[in-house]
Amino acid sequence: MTPVQALRAERWSPYAAGAGLGVIATLSMALFGKRLSGAGAYQHLSGCVGRALAPHSLYWKYVMPTGMTWELWLLGGTFLGALASALASGQFRWRLMPDRQWEQAFGPSVTKRWLVVLVGTALIELSAGIAGGCTASLAVSGGAALAPGAFLFMAGMFGGGIPTARFLYRKPRNAGAGAPS
Amino acid sequence: MSALAPVCLGVAFGWVLHKAGMGRYDVIVNVFRFKDLTVLKFLLSALLTGMLGLQLLGALQLAPHVPVAPTLLLGNLLGGLVFGVGMATAGFCPGTVAAGAGEGRLDYLVPGSLGLYTGAVAFGLLYPSVFPWLAKHGNLGEVTLPALMQVDGWLVVLMFWELGLMLFYLIERGPLRPPSDDASHTHAASASLRGSAR
Repeated sequence: MTPVQALRAERWSPYAAGAGLGVIATLSMALFGKRLSGAGAYQHLSGCVGRALAPHSLYWKYVMPTGMTWELWLLGGTFLGALASALASGQFRWRLMPDRQWEQAFGPSVTKRWLVVLVGTALIELSAGIAGGCTASLAVSGGAALAPGAFLFMAGMFGGGIPTARFLYRKPRNAGAGAPS
Repeated sequence: MSALAPVCLGVAFGWVLHKAGMGRYDVIVNVFRFKDLTVLKFLLSALLTGMLGLQLLGALQLAPHVPVAPTLLLGNLLGGLVFGVGMATAGFCPGTVAAGAGEGRLDYLVPGSLGLYTGAVAFGLLYPSVFPWLAKHGNLGEVTLPALMQVDGWLVVLMFWELGLMLFYLIERGPLRPPSDDASHTHAASASLRGSAR
């Protein structure tokens, strides 16, 4: 595979892409003293609404700075990087719904998918706050620095995810009765 | 503050997230169903590479201020559990929302970003009542495994590499290989990448 073919490929081996992510995390932490993050950016913006809801909250006064922080630039870059990769491989396309699997399991309703996304992401961001990080900032960056909390977080992630997926994608009791909802 | 460094790091981050297929709902969900272990392979490869890189740079004294994620036993575990529930339901995590949005997915861009923002505000509102309680239980601070176990960092890295490589072997060649592999084209791609790159 030539370099150009690799750039235009739809998918890379997860091992190659993962090693790339490891190098990126290493550089970010060693050169700039910053963990990679996904959830952080939203926390750094949360003050805009949060201060209006709770004007005297110590959280937005002292704990969580609001503004164009490192994490926000990083998130913007993440979006651009994925956009570049999708354009290079010809996968960019405006879509309202996942391409596969969702419809078989939950039906064609866009409203339903969007509502589930809304609730799911709120839950994810809230729990990232409780855990002290997300997949990028705690699992990958924390794990690379050998922080015990990272491995506990990953254990929790699979411990919560596996039974949830089992429940959501359980086989319908009577065959042909359609998908679980 | 210069924006150049975080934007460049972010572009690289988004690029590998997309190339690994992390912008796709089914790839994320199916790791919890043992149908497609791409997420596991991606995550573990990143961990192994990252810990080796940091250990190496640390030994060369090129990484003076590595940030260590704080360990709060209760918070890490409880947060992780709920995080997993959300991930298996909606099919992404905070970083992959940006990656999926970059692919043109409006369910990521619109309700995804809105939901993440709502969750962040909710956490801020809950913080004064929740954090003191979390900080009381199993707060180990910014500790590392080698410091906790009082062993050399290289030993811990070596142990993780042995475990990781063993797991990769079991996944690719052994009994842990998913029975119905949804991502067969990924395996073809990985085979060709392996052939030329290594």
